[in-house]
Amino acid sequence: MAKNYAMTIDLQSCIGCAACSVACKNENNTDTGMNWSHHIHTTTGTFPNVKYEYIPTLCNHCDNAPCVKACPVKAMYKDDENGLTLHNADKCIGCKACMASCPYGVISYNKKDPHQYWNDQESWYDDVSATPAEIKEKIGTEVPYYNPERAFNYEAIRYRGIVEKCQMCDHRLDRGEQPYCVSRCPAEARYVGDLNDPNDKIHELLTHDHKTLREDLGTKPKVFYLRSF
Amino acid sequence: MKVNRRNFLKISAASGLFVAGATQTKPALNAFTKSTEASSKNEPQGEWKASVCQGCTAWCAVQVYIINGRATKVRGNPHAKANHGHSCVRSHIALQQVYDPDRVKQPMKRTNPKKGRDEDPGFIPISWEEAMDTIADKIMELRDNNETHKFSVWRGRYTALNGILYGNMPKIIGSPNNVSHSSICAETEKHGRYYTEAYWGYADYDHENAFYEILWGADPIASNRQVPHTASIFGKLKDQAKIAVVDPRLSTTAAKADEWLPVIPGEDGALAIAIAHVLLTEELWYKPFVGDFKDGKNKFVEGRTVSEDDFEEIQTYGLVKWWNIALKDATPEWAAERSGIPAEQIYRVARDFGRAAPKAISFMSPGSNMVVRGGYTAQAMAALNGLVGSADTLVICGGESAPVNSWPSIDAYVDEIAEKGNNMPRADFGGRKLEMPAMNSGRPGGIKPTNTTADSILNDDPYGLKVVMSYWTNFNYSNQGSDRWDEALAKLPFMVHMTLHPAEQTHFADIILPVPHAMFERLSPVRGSNGNLYRHVHMQTGVIESPFDVKIDETEVPWMLGEALERKGFSNLIDYLRNEFRDPETGKHPENGLEFNEIATKMYTQPLWDPSIEKKGDVINGWDEFLRIGTWNSIPYRFRQKWNGNWGTETGDFEFYSETLKKALTTHAENHNTNVDKVMEATNYTARGELAFVPHYEPAYRVGDESEYPFIFSDHRSKLNREARSANCSWYQEFKDADPGDEAWDDVAKINPIDAKRLGINNGDMIKITSPTGTITVKAKLWEGTRPGVVTKCYGQGHWAYGHIASLDRKKQIARGGNNNTILAPVHEALSGSGARHGGQTRIKIEKV
Repeated sequence: MAKNYAMTIDLQSCIGCAACSVACKNENNTDTGMNWSHHIHTTTGTFPNVKYEYIPTLCNHCDNAPCVKACPVKAMYKDDENGLTLHNADKCIGCKACMASCPYGVISYNKKDPHQYWNDQESWYDDVSATPAEIKEKIGTEVPYYNPERAFNYEAIRYRGIVEKCQMCDHRLDRGEQPYCVSRCPAEARYVGDLNDPNDKIHELLTHDHKTLREDLGTKPKVFYLRSF
Repeated sequence: MKVNRRNFLKISAASGLFVAGATQTKPALNAFTKSTEASSKNEPQGEWKASVCQGCTAWCAVQVYIINGRATKVRGNPHAKANHGHSCVRSHIALQQVYDPDRVKQPMKRTNPKKGRDEDPGFIPISWEEAMDTIADKIMELRDNNETHKFSVWRGRYTALNGILYGNMPKIIGSPNNVSHSSICAETEKHGRYYTEAYWGYADYDHENAFYEILWGADPIASNRQVPHTASIFGKLKDQAKIAVVDPRLSTTAAKADEWLPVIPGEDGALAIAIAHVLLTEELWYKPFVGDFKDGKNKFVEGRTVSEDDFEEIQTYGLVKWWNIALKDATPEWAAERSGIPAEQIYRVARDFGRAAPKAISFMSPGSNMVVRGGYTAQAMAALNGLVGSADTLVICGGESAPVNSWPSIDAYVDEIAEKGNNMPRADFGGRKLEMPAMNSGRPGGIKPTNTTADSILNDDPYGLKVVMSYWTNFNYSNQGSDRWDEALAKLPFMVHMTLHPAEQTHFADIILPVPHAMFERLSPVRGSNGNLYRHVHMQTGVIESPFDVKIDETEVPWMLGEALERKGFSNLIDYLRNEFRDPETGKHPENGLEFNEIATKMYTQPLWDPSIEKKGDVINGWDEFLRIGTWNSIPYRFRQKWNGNWGTETGDFEFYSETLKKALTTHAENHNTNVDKVMEATNYTARGELAFVPHYEPAYRVGDESEYPFIFSDHRSKLNREARSANCSWYQEFKDADPGDEAWDDVAKINPIDAKRLGINNGDMIKITSPTGTITVKAKLWEGTRPGVVTKCYGQGHWAYGHIASLDRKKQIARGGNNNTILAPVHEALSGSGARHGGQTRIKIEKV
């Protein structure tokens, strides 16, 4: 049977550390400013009755995804095999219709080719330090800590003129691993499970109080936030 | 990989590049082809190798994912029982440090003899040999003139191999001046534990069995201690326990806690003392631990003295004395006036804490006690664990043993010149000044107060240091009163800076030596802090080849320096290393620096990996297996080892009235032919008489007059700081707003909106913050998470020389943000010799720029 992946994020366990977001950059080779995983934080009230909340954000892999509807070339699509909302870089024409339609602001556009920093031929401090290009040449990859495993089913590094977004680490799910943000969360706050599998742990997790972002929009998000920060 | 137009173009582009760039030793095409091939199969392409993260002092065992010799990912080492296979956000950021092009790439020497902030050092590349010869010449000059004591080694962060460069090398050369950074770390915390239960170290806590925790300035899901451990159980802990956080700033832990007590900085002691008062007056102390009144009737009544004869103690000593001297009048109402925390909240926290006894933890962190008058505050926080009976039941001050070998004796290699130098007074003030007892485990002068080294240099007190070798340090950034350090470093005739990044201290160096990133580029053992009831030793296994020309500071450098000194007629150092070190398996002596590093590591760790040596913990079958596993865990802590007279104090009991401290203070007073009251006076404490021997309230000490400097400045830590070394990483800057109240790509001063309104300051305005010590200019952030009258700011940025992200303009020396140490006063908690950076130690004024 086809899978229907969804994520739970337990806000009671979440420590608001951004390890998910850093891990995401690490796994998906995203450049500075391109963040598939990010956060919303709020400080409300007045001293000393102040409340701080941190909500990790990412593509909600909506069942009723506005980006899929908006995409004129079917580059954004719902994958029937796993229920994820995925982006096909090859089809993408970079029209940004998906970005305009996404109420969560989790799709990014490549205005230029990423990781150009590593081609820089000037060192920061004369002969004391190296040039980025020197390090790139010695290491031999676009980015020294480049992750080639991402290349299995998505452009490992995207390029100028297309959008990009969270694929829920579909390459990792495909080989039976949790997405990298889940694996690296030191608070064990995250989990991705199959809603179609009645034995999956996700159903037990969803017995906690939970909510999704902007439920009112009818997008049917599949990132569920459990309890509260 | 699917074959399509895009991939076709990409491959062509890569081939084209290869042809054009034929000089490349490692063609891009190779790497590309490999990844192309492998990615047609969806399987892991790398291997996880063991190492240790030293981004904070939790020192977690990690693994690094290596693909074709590259470090690509980091995770917690699943074999390490203290961190449940987790590592925190800081560990990932290390990837951007190790591959940072802004690192020092080769040895350099200074060509401009003039030193100063405004002088261009004129660094030019040199060979390692020239560097070693130059340093050896400087050392020989000292030896020829019988002034080897003017040689000094400065240590910042370190591995367990530090005993060679930092421990033994200065003694063989002939100097007592090995100066560690420890005193600017967390020594006052240790003071608190030592004078209650004779433990000089960091505590571990059995969170899983706690029902109530008071966290004093502690933010353990964000910063040291034991972040991955605490983080991984915090969601569960919240289900079972109540958590109260005492912190002037709304930290993440405070935000998630049941109680936030936003104390006026430096007034934590009032709260701790009042909580003790409530525990006693309301009969909430844990009787099976502390004992009871002989007639079973509680005589702890506000304002009334109790007779010592009426109470019978079990594990503790001096409860009634403590009550009579320091507690009887310390009501929550009294504490509310001082701490700014409402009396009702103090009652509530005290009662809930007491009712949870003995499953109640008082967890202190440097923020609450690295404070000018913080020694007694730390003692009070430690004493609370005695009152509720969690000492050695839930709170571990000690731990099981992680056996390692000590270094071979140097006795045969210390000649007459060296011995004379070793017997000279030390440059730092520890113990030798009445105002600086700097006691380690009750020994005056046992701590070397790092920050007084600058005073020593500036005043030639007692003499001027001449030759300094400094590693993993950045003292004119990390010590309070950083401008003062700039002057001291400018005055220093010769300084070698062994460093990963060119840093503020490097600007004053005569020689720069590039060193490995410990997590990736060297083999070394690390004794991690205890956590989750375990003690352990972890291994950094040198998982990649460095793209820079590095040598290991703690071993290769002394080896090469030993060889250079031998060429100049002094062979004792290299003889010691050659003769006394031998491979425990083959018996082979080292022949070069790298071999020496490996042999030293094997010798040190042999008890852990040699299965024939008995110990309580993991059994590892040999060196190779040890490198693969990367960690050794003790058995979990066996509680109540210290009960029934084994507390290690002067009395053998858990001391509320500290005979141990009395002895230590008396020793220091006698060394200076005076009395304890004079020691109190000289160290800025208000206590006189018996008060000096019990945990008690001391009013906060602040530098600066309130009329001129109306605000209190409060410094805090970041969850992304790799000890102020990660500001040059884009991942740090992009997510800097994960620190509550902070902003991405910035370094803001957080001001309560009420204060800001009064001063006409808007969010995002640039403001000049001036203290009596210095000035920084940063962006203002209006934030409700700080108390009116208190400006809070995170430590870790404000680097004027640390790389293209951390520093906005290298030539103009413009930092991103401002360094808190520029405005913090160079003051101490003198009993422990600690740099007192917290507790609102300085007042400031704010001006809109």
